[in-house]
Amino acid sequence: MNDKPQQVTRRSFLTETLWGTCLAGLGGLAGLVIARSRKNRTLWQIDPAKCVACGRCATHCVLQESAVKCVHAFSMCGYCRICFGFFEPQPHALDEGAENQLCPMGAIRRRFVEEPYYEYTIDEQLCIGCGKCVKGCNAFGNGSLHLQVRHDRCVNCNVCSIGDACPSGAFRRVPADQPYLFKGGHS
Amino acid sequence: MTKGPMDNRIVVGIILAAAVGAAVLATLRLDLFGRRDVPAQYQYKLDQVAEVDPNLVLYHELHQRIETGFKQARTLSVDPNGLIYVAGDSQIRVFDQVGKSVKAIDIPARPQCLALAEDGAVYVGTKDHVEVYDAAGQQTSVWPGLGPEAVITGIAVWKDDVFVADAGRRTVLRFDRQGQSLGRIGDKDPNRGIEGFVVPSPHFDLAVAQDGLLRVVNPGRHRIEAYTSNGQLELSWGRFGSDIEGFTGCCNPVHLAILPDGGFVTCEKGVVRVKVFGSDGRFVGVVAGPRQLIGSAGEVCQTVEQCQGSSFDVATDKIGRVYVLDTIKNQVRIFEKKP
Repeated sequence: MNDKPQQVTRRSFLTETLWGTCLAGLGGLAGLVIARSRKNRTLWQIDPAKCVACGRCATHCVLQESAVKCVHAFSMCGYCRICFGFFEPQPHALDEGAENQLCPMGAIRRRFVEEPYYEYTIDEQLCIGCGKCVKGCNAFGNGSLHLQVRHDRCVNCNVCSIGDACPSGAFRRVPADQPYLFKGGHS
Repeated sequence: MTKGPMDNRIVVGIILAAAVGAAVLATLRLDLFGRRDVPAQYQYKLDQVAEVDPNLVLYHELHQRIETGFKQARTLSVDPNGLIYVAGDSQIRVFDQVGKSVKAIDIPARPQCLALAEDGAVYVGTKDHVEVYDAAGQQTSVWPGLGPEAVITGIAVWKDDVFVADAGRRTVLRFDRQGQSLGRIGDKDPNRGIEGFVVPSPHFDLAVAQDGLLRVVNPGRHRIEAYTSNGQLELSWGRFGSDIEGFTGCCNPVHLAILPDGGFVTCEKGVVRVKVFGSDGRFVGVVAGPRQLIGSAGEVCQTVEQCQGSSFDVATDKIGRVYVLDTIKNQVRIFEKKP
């Protein structure tokens, strides 16, 4: 066993420093190339200001379960007791009974905050992106519920079949580094 | 050299190829095997809510509609001479009864609401402050701003008082005619039986009735509340309901006007309908329903403008006509009681 510490020679120090610098430079270059290619890449997204929540997002996606989901801009929400994104237009009772809920999948959860306010959240596992709640919320409320293409699901087709069927031209390409058009700044 | 059978075959071949290509293209465009129709369970339908019994419609529309020329008309009011003041964009435009432009007043900020005083003064609410103009359209004062949270959506003038509805802070502010603050009205106060205003969206209107009581829409509670000028809650009426007598949606009505007989005209959004209630809050009838105002009863909306949520404003004149400001088409529509 050799207890003597290995001596670093000037040559080995310079060699290793050079290798380290080269590797860091290569890493930086690779990062730059990826960032640039990402910046130039575009993805499909829904412009909430143009969306009419027609329902085609649920039926026209090439995926069996649409890549479009409802998202909720909490900063815009009125936290209404009687939310028309949640309730049927003629509810039997103002409770969470399935027959009173607008969402065909029961994907909206509501939680009492304080009288008379409720918080509404979307269960994305259940949401199919039909936009029924979006239509109710836009027409009666503040429009805090809105549809977005979820990029963990979207396969980014050259021609988006939902966009092709969209009656209001709400689908457009957005930069990959800014892939969402959330209402209210965030969601 | 004459053309042979070979040339004809080429021409026929080209035509056939073009026909096949067109057929393939048409088939692809038709997407015969795709899922074109949106199933009924995904469609938002309001057929039943939007349907209005014709026997309940007590008004008919006068022939002319007034084109305001605004990109975004916001609010209207009618003076005792029947002149129609419409605010929108950055201007107030005044029209006579046949739609002839009488004058225009430039507003530096975007007007949200307006009220006309008996002396002809025009009180304009912008997002966070009030501006006052004289009858000639000259600005006479600009009141101090109410702060970044303020969202002024309604204003009313009664004798020496000016009432301002602030949707941002869910309160009504009382001022004198010079803009001096005289207090707040409607803040939650269990000792006085006041539950407080619930204002989920920027639609919060008020008006003063002939009895001198301030009427304030409490949209989240679907009712109209009557207050004295010192903030005492006197009475309230109205309820949630998708039937014609109730106020539907999360927060309705969005606008309110007072008739010469002391009755009330209300306007709802979502299902856009203008209704008349008696001075005691009893439902009287309908001025116009969604089919007449929007053009479609079953669909909540079809165009982007409709679907992004719009609220029509209402006003009345001294002979009981009802003026509806269509904020989608930027028109004023005038309704008169049927004989």
